[in-house]
Amino acid sequence: MLSTLILRGAARSNAANMIKSTARLTPLKAYCTIVANAQRQALTKPLALTQKVAPIAVRGIAVSAPKMASAGSNHTSLWTIERVVSAGLLAVIPAAFLAPSQVLDALLAISVVIHTHWGVEAMVVDYMRPAVVGNILPKVAHIALIIISVATLGGLFYFIKNDVGLANGIKRFWAIKGKDAEKA
Amino acid sequence: MLVNEARQVLSRASSLAARHQLRAISNTTQVEQQAKPKEALEPQIKKFEIYRWNPDNAGEKPFMQTYEVNMRECGPMVLDALIKIKNEMDPTLTFRRSCREGICGSCAMNIGGTNTLACISKIDATSSKPLKVYPLPHMYVVRDLVPDMNNFYEQYKNIQPWLQRKNEAGEQKGKAQYLQSVEDRSKLDGLYECILCACCSTSCPSYWWNAEKYLGPAVLMQAYRWIIDSRDENTVERLSKLKDPFSVYRCHTIMNCTRTCPKGLNPGRAIAEIKKLLSGLASKPAPKLETAALHK
Repeated sequence: MLSTLILRGAARSNAANMIKSTARLTPLKAYCTIVANAQRQALTKPLALTQKVAPIAVRGIAVSAPKMASAGSNHTSLWTIERVVSAGLLAVIPAAFLAPSQVLDALLAISVVIHTHWGVEAMVVDYMRPAVVGNILPKVAHIALIIISVATLGGLFYFIKNDVGLANGIKRFWAIKGKDAEKA
Repeated sequence: MLVNEARQVLSRASSLAARHQLRAISNTTQVEQQAKPKEALEPQIKKFEIYRWNPDNAGEKPFMQTYEVNMRECGPMVLDALIKIKNEMDPTLTFRRSCREGICGSCAMNIGGTNTLACISKIDATSSKPLKVYPLPHMYVVRDLVPDMNNFYEQYKNIQPWLQRKNEAGEQKGKAQYLQSVEDRSKLDGLYECILCACCSTSCPSYWWNAEKYLGPAVLMQAYRWIIDSRDENTVERLSKLKDPFSVYRCHTIMNCTRTCPKGLNPGRAIAEIKKLLSGLASKPAPKLETAALHK
């Protein structure tokens, strides 16, 4: 008697639970899928939607994956070379001034120019963004930077070859005294 | 036996009496404490200048609105003041908040020029200067202090922040643990505590300028958290996804991220570790324990 009661009770509660859960879950799930599908469609077809509704009200919020412009290229070796040059400057600069020679002058000229070039290049990439200044100016700035860097290096090489050399030149520049100093 | 009982009764009686006495004392002090400040102390007014912008008011520019809060009737943190303003002065003021104890990251905003969590930044009630509160810098604003975090979350999704194994079919997923030595586990300290409040990413100029392409300190620290986890086997794939000139290499070690982190973490160091792993200056050590030993 008792056992049947318990069994019936268990059966009833199970059935009740099942009805409850199905009744609660199905509409919820349906709602979820509707919302999710709508969102997915909005994400996959943003252009079509905005064209239909209001082409002016497009807000530039990036929802696409951040691997876009340069996903394929590898920047690792360049970064490593940049670090090597930066560390190398710590040795090259004092060496070029302690023992001035054409080879060390050339090394100094190359490493300083390429170091500044990479530094200014980072500034060009960061501050001349197509989203802000348009598509042409970033390219013009980058090409101008390359021209300036190459011209600087060429000029320094000319000075090293045909004149006193880079380290000696800088030493002489510092040795210049004003008229007052000469009098005194 | 009798003596024992008597002792027990006595001790109980004395403790009861003591408890009554204590209660009486504490009651009087409480009443005194409550009564005094309300009558004696003058209101201490603190000004809050809060960024307001409502997209529903077409054509309206963002503006700063000043609220005056009596600090005598307000909690110590900026979030307490914001909630007080919303409850008592201006229900239209909009901001995110949830846990009020610095563990959810919802109330990240720019307070007095620093990105931090409103719930754990104390109000300087003595200063007569108004406290300026802005949304996180260089984010699209949804309304008032609520920024649009979609791009940030998309980037977090992009680094695949979950444990990845090479031989998942050969392992009883969910049935047995993956082993990790204490030493290997300690490498995750200072990484796993991140609550993704985005204070660091939105303090980073590189992230301001290139938010679509540069992943930003918060996401990169989580990328490193999964790269360095001894149980994760997709290290090479994870690293190769970060090789391009923007994902990691837009970091110029400005270190605003580490300076601003409200949890005291160091995303700048994590990015440097990623760069070292990428260039081959460092490599991920082999796990100290055989990770899948319990799956055999």
